Amino acid sequence: MKVDRRSFLGLGIGAVAGIAVSPVGLKLTDDSSILSQTTKLWPWALDHPPFDGEITYESSVCSLCPGSCGISVRKIDNRPVKIEGLAGHPVNDGGACLHGMSGLQYLYDPARIKTPLKKKGDSFEEISWEDAISQISGKLADIRKNGTPEKLACITNKEQGSVSGLLQRLLGAFGSSNFYTMPSLESYLEITAAQLHGKGKTIAFDLENSDFVLSFGAGLLEGWGSPVACFKANATRKQRHAKLYQVEPRLSNTAAGADQWIPAKPGTEADLALGMCAVILKKNLFDSNATANFKGGLNKFAAMLQKEYSLEKTAQLTGIKEADIEKCAEGFAKAKMPVAVFGKGRGDGAQSLKEMTAVHTLNCLVGNINKKGGVFVQNKTQYLEFSDVTMDNIAQSGSAKAKIGLSVDQMLDTVNASAKPVIEALIVHNANPCYSLRNTKRVKQAISKIPFVVSLSSFLDETAMQADIILPSHTFVEGLEDVPNLAGLTKKVVGLTKPVVTPVFDTKNAGDSILMIAKALDESVAGNFEWDSYEECLESVTAGIWDSLSEDGYAILSEDVPSGAQMVNIGFLADNPPTVVAQAQDGFDFTLIPIDNMRLVSGAVAASPFAVKTVSDTVLKGNDIVVEINPMTVRGLKDKGKATLTTPMGAVKVLVNLNEGIRPGVIGMVEGLGHTFDNKYVSNKGVNINDLIGPVLESGTGLDAAFGIKAKISKA
Amino acid sequence: MKQEDKKAHKFGMVVDLDKCTGCGSCMVSCMAENNVPFKEDETDKKKSITWMRVYKLTNGKSFPETEIIYMPRPCQHCGGKGDHGHSPCVSVCPATATDYGHDTGIVSQIYTRCFGCRYCMGACPYHARYFNWWDPEWPEGMENYLSPNVSPRMRGVVEKCSFCYHRYQLAREKAYVEERDDIEENEYQTACTTACPAGAIVFGDLNNPEHEVTQIVKPDPHPDPRNHDVVGKSRNPKVFRLLERLGTNTKVYYLSEKEWVRKAGDNYRDGEWDKIKNHHGTTESTHG
Amino acid sequence: MSEIENKSETGSTESAGECVSGDTKDDKGLGLGVIFFLVAFVACFLAGTLLFPKLLYSKKEQPFNFDHALHTSEAGDCESCHSYREDGTYNGIPKLATCLDCHSEEPLGETEAEAIFVEEYVVKEKEVPWLVYSRQPDCVFFSHAAHTIKAGNDCKTCHGPIGESTVTKPYEENRLTGYSRDIWGKNIFGIKKHSWDRMKMDDCAECHKKETGEQGACFQCHK
Repeated sequence: MKVDRRSFLGLGIGAVAGIAVSPVGLKLTDDSSILSQTTKLWPWALDHPPFDGEITYESSVCSLCPGSCGISVRKIDNRPVKIEGLAGHPVNDGGACLHGMSGLQYLYDPARIKTPLKKKGDSFEEISWEDAISQISGKLADIRKNGTPEKLACITNKEQGSVSGLLQRLLGAFGSSNFYTMPSLESYLEITAAQLHGKGKTIAFDLENSDFVLSFGAGLLEGWGSPVACFKANATRKQRHAKLYQVEPRLSNTAAGADQWIPAKPGTEADLALGMCAVILKKNLFDSNATANFKGGLNKFAAMLQKEYSLEKTAQLTGIKEADIEKCAEGFAKAKMPVAVFGKGRGDGAQSLKEMTAVHTLNCLVGNINKKGGVFVQNKTQYLEFSDVTMDNIAQSGSAKAKIGLSVDQMLDTVNASAKPVIEALIVHNANPCYSLRNTKRVKQAISKIPFVVSLSSFLDETAMQADIILPSHTFVEGLEDVPNLAGLTKKVVGLTKPVVTPVFDTKNAGDSILMIAKALDESVAGNFEWDSYEECLESVTAGIWDSLSEDGYAILSEDVPSGAQMVNIGFLADNPPTVVAQAQDGFDFTLIPIDNMRLVSGAVAASPFAVKTVSDTVLKGNDIVVEINPMTVRGLKDKGKATLTTPMGAVKVLVNLNEGIRPGVIGMVEGLGHTFDNKYVSNKGVNINDLIGPVLESGTGLDAAFGIKAKISKA
Repeated sequence: MKQEDKKAHKFGMVVDLDKCTGCGSCMVSCMAENNVPFKEDETDKKKSITWMRVYKLTNGKSFPETEIIYMPRPCQHCGGKGDHGHSPCVSVCPATATDYGHDTGIVSQIYTRCFGCRYCMGACPYHARYFNWWDPEWPEGMENYLSPNVSPRMRGVVEKCSFCYHRYQLAREKAYVEERDDIEENEYQTACTTACPAGAIVFGDLNNPEHEVTQIVKPDPHPDPRNHDVVGKSRNPKVFRLLERLGTNTKVYYLSEKEWVRKAGDNYRDGEWDKIKNHHGTTESTHG
Repeated sequence: MSEIENKSETGSTESAGECVSGDTKDDKGLGLGVIFFLVAFVACFLAGTLLFPKLLYSKKEQPFNFDHALHTSEAGDCESCHSYREDGTYNGIPKLATCLDCHSEEPLGETEAEAIFVEEYVVKEKEVPWLVYSRQPDCVFFSHAAHTIKAGNDCKTCHGPIGESTVTKPYEENRLTGYSRDIWGKNIFGIKKHSWDRMKMDDCAECHKKETGEQGACFQCHK
């Protein structure tokens, strides 16, 4: 039998036909279509499909900003999947801001600190908790042994709250008064209240009920105070027929949403407020019942105003027309429930006491203090019941010594200025001064001069990088902590963050870290910390409200209109303290000001990848920061073109956004970019404006009041 | 059962642009809800996937008369000419990977079925569709927050806003076990709507006169006598749709007191706006 | 192989018969060609039908045997374990906690399966990694509530008489797609006799068309 070509062909055709009739073709076609369509070609998805399960919700509180909104964490199969606003919560009732909703990104942030770290050369090595605590307590014990306990300092983000309370207790028992908070709306409200009404008081604005809000640069829609509460108050404004006037050199979202935008020259807010005070006094538009409470020389104040802040002079200083100033002052004074709000941007930026008191004096003049829709002046929130600290001799002598600075900025400057270390050890908690304070080089230099720095942080941020030992903290979804709302709301609310997920890394509650340090010190310090854990401490110091905190997730401390008139001491303003001016140098003709953008943050944490993603390409393009500038300011600059921006602090390459919404002569640069830590989604984008602006400390308060800096810009 | 099925929904929303503050909550809520990824550089907005995107509009006047307003733009869920379901994107899809749900009015899609020709992106007048140029990636551990209710998309497919359809599905499941025939207005709300701190977004069934969205929009069920392709025009003179005259019959309406904002909703030739602005949003039939 | 050999012998007989009344040379060639054609045809057809599935699917055993019949007789109907949550979602294969409603560290019976279950999972508090025969791709949304409570189907309509089974069959995983053989159906031609034989999109669409008049938009079943 000969196998010829034909039979060979038969074999082939037969094979093909056999396969064709068999299910192989059909099945493989189907399978390969599934293969191409489904996730098999994307191996990640086969290993990590988002697993389904029971949907549950847990209520907690967000502590990313002082707003302290209630949050609802949606969990699937016990795995947190999404954070949303909590309906019915007294602060935010349902809404949420983009940062809170990105909260879970912080949990898995690439820059999270996974275990205690110790500085080794330029990098860090992992150490155990026991090791870290014993090294810290060893150093601190030496400082006490030397009889210089005041050389322990602490920087944190707020004064209120039990973790801050523990830090203050540690410093007290140790023997140091060097406790500092970062500039915050909380501190500004208290400083202003202290100056005008007396110590121990604070101010709150009833924005929800006011019919005329006159905001001096307060970014009510930029994240000022409690952002969601502000958004809500603004949303009901139309129905309430309430007006919003915004004083700001730039058309911010708040200015855009306002009934009137008053584009005053940067840094002239105090002048404008005083000019309006002058109009109100001159035209007898003030409330005589209210002015009866003025002490310290109302007549002297009025005379000073007529002399220094006449309409003509104010118009010249601020760049606002006389008629507009007059109209605004009259509108404010004649409104039923007017409120003048201070705290530029988010309320935590550079401000002077002069500006804040000048604005608040408007409130005092029109008699809206402690009235619905006005301004509440009341005692500071007190809900923690810590027992008195027992101090030994060393502690007593140390505590008796004065703080080395009135503010954190002044303290750092003192450190820089002295040859010998005035601070031997620094504990930084929930703060990033190496990023958020003006002239970051100066801050880093001061911190590097402090021989021993401990950081209690969740992220390896700019300041943690400078630390000798890092004790990693939980994020707000991992730990228990009381969070008071400190953002100028009339409702005083304390919330409780709850652990909604088991800690992802080997971290601890900052409160527990502080307890561990305290207990490792000698008995005279350790004896003040009788609790076995932070949780036990929290329950005992919040005993009065613990039931409602643990059951409802929050406690309302007060929400009614406070009663009683408030004395107003006008002495400080009557002397007309000098207005802070921007740091300048010859040839620098423009003013660079920071822009607070709701989609970014500039505090202790950086913005999340989601938040950075929402940032417009007129703010950040590639890795270049875009500055806003009015086309009238500099001829020859092109929109989207490259430019060099120079201030007395340094020069940077920027892109230009020609924008009609900014005052000519002013350059606006966003705050919150230019981070340098290890998170590629967030860091190394743009520049940190604090590298370009230096602090200008107000005399008498030590507050950094640098609203901006003189600058020049040229085509690159 | 057949009886109720005939009662089709027409889900839509109205955004109060005077309330919108441009805060970006809706964008993040959407991304977190729908497993939208992020990458190192998101500043090339053509390649940045944002189902919900907030645009900034300006009146173009110079300082200090400048005004700005923010406009959130989800998928507009076009009903197409005459509102028959021929959405611009659905009509051009060669893979039948996207189609129009006549029972909901929602333009739906099967990501895995898409083969990435991007015709739909070209057809969409609103730039609401996005192409995945890369497989999404999450930093280690972060995939733990992904939701099983929306499947992650791979490289090579187009995606867009779904009006959070999975929330509709979940609401319906709940109604089924409770043996209810239909869902309540508050049971199905999109993630952007619930997140908005200003309450600027109102979402609901445009076919249900009880729903707030219908009461604000007051959609005209009859075709516009001047342009029969247009159906569902708002009878509220402050409400407009984007590029309404194209007859795309979008289900996302916008509300503003400001005339320049309403004018910005379409490209008008010189003098054209002045002719129609006074009866904008109304039809001759309603004038009687 | 013997079957194929038989067939090829038959083939050769037939062609030998034909060559009697024709041009010897050409016919012989044609005959051989036909023989080769048929041999190859049959061989490939059978390989595609019988061998191919064996290559396409890999077999995996469940962690231990699960006796549905025993459980339904002891615990009641399907919903005793596979139930709806309050929010209308379906729990699918129950978690360990549900098993522990009846089971404990003390075995209830004497089966080897239960011994493994107790030792490996109950004591160690580990979830059982069951292999799900009906697992659909991640992009599929399926509402049990819509199909049972609303539409009135019983479990059998899609899952067949699994409640009567006493042994868990091996899980056959498609090496290409990663999904279970039960989705395409046991029959490699894709022919189904019962409604539960297959679980592909076409099967969903077919039933939807029949029962509701339309197959619905993408999001009806996709997410």
